[in-house]
Amino acid sequence: MAGDRPHIIVEDLRVAWGPRVVLDRVSFQVERGSTFAILGGSGCGKSTLLRFLIGLEQPQGGRIDIDGVGEPHRYEGIPPFGVLFQSGALFSSMTVEENLALPLTTWTSLRGPIVHDLVHAKLDLVGLGPFARHLPGEISGGMKKRAGIGRALMLEPDLLFFDEPSAGLDPITAVELDHLILSLSHDLGITVVIVTHELPSIFLVADSCIVLDKEAKGIVATGPPGRLREESTIPFVHHFFARSSPDASATGGR
Amino acid sequence: MNTAITTERHGAHASLAAAGFFDLAHAAAAHQAVEDAASRLRGCEQVDIDLTQLVRIDGTGAVLLARLLDRLDDDGLQARLAEGRNPEAVRLIALYRSRNTKAPVRSAGAEGVLSRIGAAIATLPGTARGTLDFTGRCAAAVPKTISSPHSVNWGSLPMLIQSIGADAWLVTSAANLLVGLIIGFIGISQLGRFGAISYVPELVVVAHFRELGALVTAIIVAGRSGAGLASELATMKVSEEIDALRSIGFDPVRWLVVPRCLALVIVLPILTEIGDLFALGGALAATTAMTDMPISMYLTGTAEAITGNNLLAGLIKSPFLALAIGLVACGQGLATHGGAAAVGARTTTAVVMSIFAVIVINTLFTLLFVVIGM
Repeated sequence: MAGDRPHIIVEDLRVAWGPRVVLDRVSFQVERGSTFAILGGSGCGKSTLLRFLIGLEQPQGGRIDIDGVGEPHRYEGIPPFGVLFQSGALFSSMTVEENLALPLTTWTSLRGPIVHDLVHAKLDLVGLGPFARHLPGEISGGMKKRAGIGRALMLEPDLLFFDEPSAGLDPITAVELDHLILSLSHDLGITVVIVTHELPSIFLVADSCIVLDKEAKGIVATGPPGRLREESTIPFVHHFFARSSPDASATGGR
Repeated sequence: MNTAITTERHGAHASLAAAGFFDLAHAAAAHQAVEDAASRLRGCEQVDIDLTQLVRIDGTGAVLLARLLDRLDDDGLQARLAEGRNPEAVRLIALYRSRNTKAPVRSAGAEGVLSRIGAAIATLPGTARGTLDFTGRCAAAVPKTISSPHSVNWGSLPMLIQSIGADAWLVTSAANLLVGLIIGFIGISQLGRFGAISYVPELVVVAHFRELGALVTAIIVAGRSGAGLASELATMKVSEEIDALRSIGFDPVRWLVVPRCLALVIVLPILTEIGDLFALGGALAATTAMTDMPISMYLTGTAEAITGNNLLAGLIKSPFLALAIGLVACGQGLATHGGAAAVGARTTTAVVMSIFAVIVINTLFTLLFVVIGM
């Protein structure tokens, strides 16, 4: 894997559900080791874009290239990226440690105490050591997300995707989760792609970002979030970072 | 390069050198190398670990080496990583050492047969209390339903009657037809040995109207609607819809359980009677096909056998069987805790328990009828 090559390259991606075009001509790159945010309001196609990035859907046009994977929807084998779904998506019939052990016992021949050690190392990493034997129904929303991150880390990916990690969490838990994401990025050198519309998360976590707009059906701005907030002249981007409705402002209009 | 840890010992001092791939793909080899190295360090006091020959290390390899260092620490050895020679590996190992809460390994087989039997028995009082509590709440719901009829979702009743009754009549009737056919065949083969073929119509009526009609129909409904009702309420419970009902002041028992039980009580006797007719048809087909008995004679024999007692015996118990199915299915559904797996488990339990309850209640009614001479 080349050190300088972008970790993810998306070129001219087109997404349509039947005749309805959701995203068109979407192009961006994610640098290795960076934290990258996909921003936008509800219904702009952020989570849809994520589904294409992790290979759950096949694009109708354009190209997604993840270094070491190629086109994600064609990839078979140990996934070189981990995903945290919005709800954590833990398997409810398994304890937290069984959830974490599952990728390991599925993809490797490891069994017994070594699996226990590896699972607990990851649980300690996400701060869930004492909750290993709890069922997902017995832990809080924030803990479920931590456990989801732990499970996503089990196969030692160098790329992690997060879908709305702060959704449904109180501000303090959300900030704790953001710090966890940051520390994983720094400590493990993992590239992080985060889909969110939470402004505090964006400014705390993201090195750079793209802003999607429902009307434009694509990217309306690219760059570090702080710079976009200060310098962007695009009304939607300005309003997004100012957290106000475009229609409610005299400077509104696109 | 092979994944290995080489050991050089000089008295109480040992030098370890980890080489090769310490990553997920080579985890088994790396684990073995760590175990071998640990076993060679007995009697040492000082250990230096060199990581310069590592080709690749990831979190998995770092955890293995971190746990080796933890073990050496626990054994009182002075273990040192050669700092500065492979800073990335040293940093990663330090990360996993700093966040180790030392969770105890679960000992395999700690839960023996006896402890599992004990644990199962220990849950019985709770289960019994839960069942009694639910039955009590259902009984209490009846007078409250009468005093405040708006607290019941009457609007759902037609749809429930449709799904539990109208949509099920084909399968219950088909099952009854086949059972009637079976009784007909058994009657012909057994009674025929004594030249008593003319008693076949009466046998079919007594066996089916009194016992099997209600039983077969109830078992099919328990399997079909019992599973449906239990999984519906269980899904509502795990998705917090039941909590939402409570939060807006609705009693889930009255809002959900009462209409479901009522629909079953209305529908099951009707399905039973339709099934009885199909069973007569099945037995008639078997008898006329296998013997020389004319249809008119069979019908006359049947008409004579259908007495008030035979008809009532089946009809009286049918609503009780329906109530048992409804209470068990709804009770299991509302008792669900957890997620998707709990929904499946509760649905299975609901079907098994409601079929068993149907058989038990049917037996009790048969005993009662024998005792009172009905």
